[in-house]
Order: sequence, then structure tokens, then C-alpha cells
Amino acid sequence: MKRAGLRVRVIAGFAAGALTLSALMALVSYQITRRSLLNEREGTAVRAAYYDAAVVRAGLGSAVQPDVVAVLGSLDTGENRRAVLYRDGAWYGSKADSGLRDAIPAALQQKATGGMAAVQRVRADGAPLLVVALPLPDGDVFYEVDSMQELQHTLGVLTLVLSLVALGTAAIGAALGWYATRYVLRPLTWVADAAEGIAAGRSDARLDPAGEPDLARLSTSFNHMVDELSARNERDRRFAADVSHELRSPLQTLAAAASVLNKRRHQLDPRSATAAGLVSDEVDRFQGLVNDLLELARSDQRAERAPVDVLELARQVCRERHTCEDVVAMTGSGGMWLVDRRRIGQLLGNLLDNAEAYGGGATAIRLELDDDRGTLEVDDEGPGVSPDDKLVIFDRFVRGRSAGARAGGDGAGLGLALVAQHAAAHGGTATVLDRPGGGARFRVELAGCRP
Amino acid sequence: MSAVLVIEDDDRIRLSLVLALEDEGYAVSGASTAEEGLASQRSRPADTVLVDLMLPGIDGFECIRQMRRTDDVPIVVISARDDTQDIVEALEAGADDYLVKPVAVKELTARLRALRRRARTVSPDQVPALRFGDLEVLPEAGEVRLRGTAVSVTRTEFQLLCELAEHPGRVLSRQQLLQRVWQYDGGDERLVDVHIGRLRQKIEDDSGAPRHLVTVRGLGYKLQR
Repeated sequence: MKRAGLRVRVIAGFAAGALTLSALMALVSYQITRRSLLNEREGTAVRAAYYDAAVVRAGLGSAVQPDVVAVLGSLDTGENRRAVLYRDGAWYGSKADSGLRDAIPAALQQKATGGMAAVQRVRADGAPLLVVALPLPDGDVFYEVDSMQELQHTLGVLTLVLSLVALGTAAIGAALGWYATRYVLRPLTWVADAAEGIAAGRSDARLDPAGEPDLARLSTSFNHMVDELSARNERDRRFAADVSHELRSPLQTLAAAASVLNKRRHQLDPRSATAAGLVSDEVDRFQGLVNDLLELARSDQRAERAPVDVLELARQVCRERHTCEDVVAMTGSGGMWLVDRRRIGQLLGNLLDNAEAYGGGATAIRLELDDDRGTLEVDDEGPGVSPDDKLVIFDRFVRGRSAGARAGGDGAGLGLALVAQHAAAHGGTATVLDRPGGGARFRVELAGCRP
Repeated sequence: MSAVLVIEDDDRIRLSLVLALEDEGYAVSGASTAEEGLASQRSRPADTVLVDLMLPGIDGFECIRQMRRTDDVPIVVISARDDTQDIVEALEAGADDYLVKPVAVKELTARLRALRRRARTVSPDQVPALRFGDLEVLPEAGEVRLRGTAVSVTRTEFQLLCELAEHPGRVLSRQQLLQRVWQYDGGDERLVDVHIGRLRQKIEDDSGAPRHLVTVRGLGYKLQR
């Protein structure tokens, strides 16, 4: 399971804490309110019952043959209270509710018959009732049944209000948690912004150590780290620039001098002419090697993307190498890709050179732009690449050992390493596959190519 | 015979370039400092100047700037530095092309030929003046006029302007312009961008908001009224 983020966890914690607290408070206040309301109600009911019982006793005692129903009917019981009298084994009710005596529990009847006054809360047909039993002289029992419907309603409203308050408190807790995390995590956002800025090439991005006293150490060490990194980058860059300058200047002399020698080869004796030819060839090769090495040394540079007609570029690369342009085919939409023209030109050239050296020349070059992803494929019909070679073929200074390799090959084994580097600069990859029907298929995938 | 001036402080490089270019049929003179080169160009103007960037005293950038004040001679930078910053700065100073050392002699002579190519194919029905509002391009006279006043442009800038002027309102891609003006089959597009920028400073009232020489995003440039 994916672990929730710090922010989510803090917000959830705040919300849960607030909910627990407010729920507890709500529960306690509900209980207290309920008890006090019930007690008060019970007191009122008992007082009213005693008063009514006195009236009934007086009414029954004054006549020789009293009309029990009339006596009960004379009571001022209002809407909620109903009086019932148990006399000589018969039940008398004040109104026409015969089912009422069923609501009087047996335990209460027993108690009252035994001469003890009692109160009990019961539920009849889903409605809450309060039954007060008062024994009268001669074994009679006066019952009063009090409906607590409106008390129930009051408690219902109270429950609703308290629940809403609890939920509201939880929401406020969550909001507080959100604010707190935002506030606490804000310095981390600064760090993230600065790091992103540096990754995007803004080497002057720094944190303000005075910005947040608690995080001064983080800011200072972050800035220190960035300073160190940019100093190292600068050293590396200067080193590469120095080396390139130091190598290029003598090479320029060599190239020009070799050209002079080459021009006069026919005037030299055969031995000197051969030597001059060797010097001239090796200078060319050395030039290529130095250029490749310098290119590899600049691996950290980003691709300078611009809209490029890749189909035309591929044809042009073919022309430069005197390869037939007809092998180039474009599928998918659009001829314009957003890529670094120089790098893609070199990438294609190196793949063609590789096919020439090890596979007898490229037989197909396919370009495809699918959505945002550009794919370049170069096929040859040579002996293919062995599984062992596939693992290392894009490493530096790896040269093919295949049977078809040109003897003494003139590459230094940097061509495919550069292909991989150029692909990586475009957020892509370079792979080698088996071509169906024999031979090798080099595939380069580039990201973000749609202009 | 075409004359080439090589301004290069490294004696060995200068000597080898002089020898190699002489073998290719050029009349070559060498200068080891910018001051010497500027003086030589004033007294005996060469047809093309090759200049290194890292020179003692006045550096290559300043040398190009000073030479450009009085001369429209094609200037080619040959430098061991290949940072974008150096390349763009040298082109903005007024260089026509930029080559990174080591340059093969074959490549160098190809560049020299491309820049020296002055004979333009002018078709018989060619109108003497191409008008773009207040801008006039006269391909045969080799002149550019803004509101009747001649504007001084280098040969490469003029050639670039002519290519665009001969296709009024049509977009030419950077690669097409590289091919037609510099004869590069697949070259560095910054060459075109910097030259367009230099041209705008000369023929536009506000080079930041060009009216004639406009960029068509993702495609190239066109010249319009």
C-alpha cells in the first residue's frame, strides 16, 4: 500500500483528534442534559400523580357507590397524562383507551399492589411513557401514564445539534491541520523550488538562511552543497575547455601540415609517400576521436531543441555518406520534430557508420512520430549483434567483434556511446534488436518531439 | 588569385595554414596579432580574413568589430572555442562564418569559396529593384536603400537579403538559407539567426518589432512590405 504523505497524515491526525474530542464532549453533555431533563420530568409527573390520587381518593371516599369512571374523568390530566384505577380486580380508565393497562408492566403492578409507590419508564408502540403507581387504601392502585413524546423530540434535536457540532469541529481541525502543514512545510517548498531551479540550470538559485531561523542549518548546508556543486561543475567545464583547446590547436597544425604533405605525395619517394599517407589518415582519425571525446565530455549539456525536418535531415545525412536516400521512410504524422538538430544529425550519422562498418550498410531507416515520442530505426542485413555484445554495445570504447567487422576498423568505439548520450539528452533511450530476417536493428526513442 | 589574411598568434598553426592554403592556390599573408592584421588589411586589403579569437592584446572579437567599421570583407573565425556564447558573440561582432579547430583544409577551402562567390545568377527578366515598402533591394547594383538612403551591409548580409527579397512574402527555412547563402548542407542555424539580427538593426526602425524581415515561428524567415 502506498504510504500517505506527511501532509495527508497530519491533516487526518488533526481531524481525528478534533472529532474524538468533540464527540466525547457531545456525549457527556448529552448524557447530563438527558438525565436532568428526565429527573425534572419524573418529579413533575410524580407530583401531579399524588395530587390526582388525592382527588380520586376524596371522590371515591365521599360516595357509598361511587362512579369510578366519572371520578377519573373529573381529573384535569391534560393531553399527556392519563389516569387508570385498579379497584377490586377491575381496571377503570379515564378515557377510551383500553390498551393502556397493557403498557403497565407486571413488576410495577406487583410492587404497587404490595403497597409501595413506584415509577417506571416504559415503551409502548414505540412511544416512551412514564408510569407512576400510587397505592390507595383498600388495595386500590392509582396509575398515571405520562407520555414523554415531546421530551423524546427535544432529545432528538439535541442529538442532531451535538452531532453537527462534532462534525464541524472535526472539519475545523482538518482545516487547522492543513494550515499548520502548509505553514510548517513552506520552507521545504522553498528548498524544492531552489533544487528545481538548479536542476533547470539556474545555478544562482540559493536559500535565504535568514528566512526561517529554525531551518537555518538546512539552508546553510543546502547553499553550501550547491556552491560546492557549481564550483565542481565550473572546474570540470574549464578543464574540458582547456583540454579541448590544448588538443585542438596542435591538431589544427597537424591537419594543415598533413594536407601539405599529402598534396606533394607524388613528389616523394615511395617510402616517404606511404609514411605521408599514414600520417594524413591518422590525423583524420585522431581528429574524429578528439571530437567524439569532447562531445562525450559535454554529457551534461541539454539538447537545444528546435523544430527540425527530420526526414530531410536523414536524407542529408545519407547524402553526406553517399548512401542511397531511398532507404529513408517516414511513417506517422508530421515531418517537423522538436529536437536538437546537431545531435540528431550526429546520432543518425553514427548509426549509419556503424551499419556500414559492421552490417554491410543500412538497408532501412524508419522515422516515426507517435504522439510525443519520436522513434528512429536503422536496419542492416549483416550478421547481427550477439547477445553478449548487446549488453555493452552502447558503452564507451566497445568495438564490434562480429565476423563482418571491417579489419582494423577505424572507429574508436565511441560512435554508439554518443548515440546513447544524444538519446538520453532527449529524455529517450537507444536499444539494439534483431532484425526479423537477419541483421541488426538499432532503435532510438526520443521524448517530447511534438513541436 | 584570391588573397587571404590569416590572423593567428600560434606560429605553428599560422605557418601550416599559410602553407596549406598556398597549396590550394591562394595568396596568403599572415599576422600574429590583431593590430598587425588590422594594419595589413588597411594597407593591402585581402579578399577574405581568417581570424582566431584568443589573441594577445586586442582579442579576436574586438578585431572583428574594428575591421567591420570600415570593411565588408568576408571574415571567418577559426577558434578552438566552441561555446555557444563565443560563437554568437563572434557572429554578432560581424563575422560571416565560424569554424571550430581543427578544420580540414578541404572544408576550409570550401568555406572560402562559398563566401567569395560573388557572381549571382541574375535572370534576364530580373527587375533592377525589389521594393518592400520603404525598403529597396537592388540585386544587380549590390545596394540596399531604406527610404532612399543607402544602407551599408556586408556581402553576406546582402546575399541573405537578396535570397529573401527574390521570394517576396515566401518563408525560407534556416536550412534553405544556409544552403543558398553559405552553401552548407546542414549547418549551424545560429549563423542565420545572428545574421538576420544584424540585418534587422540596419533595415528595421525597431529591430525588436521588425516590419520587413519577420520570423515565422518554427518555419524560418520572410521578407514582406
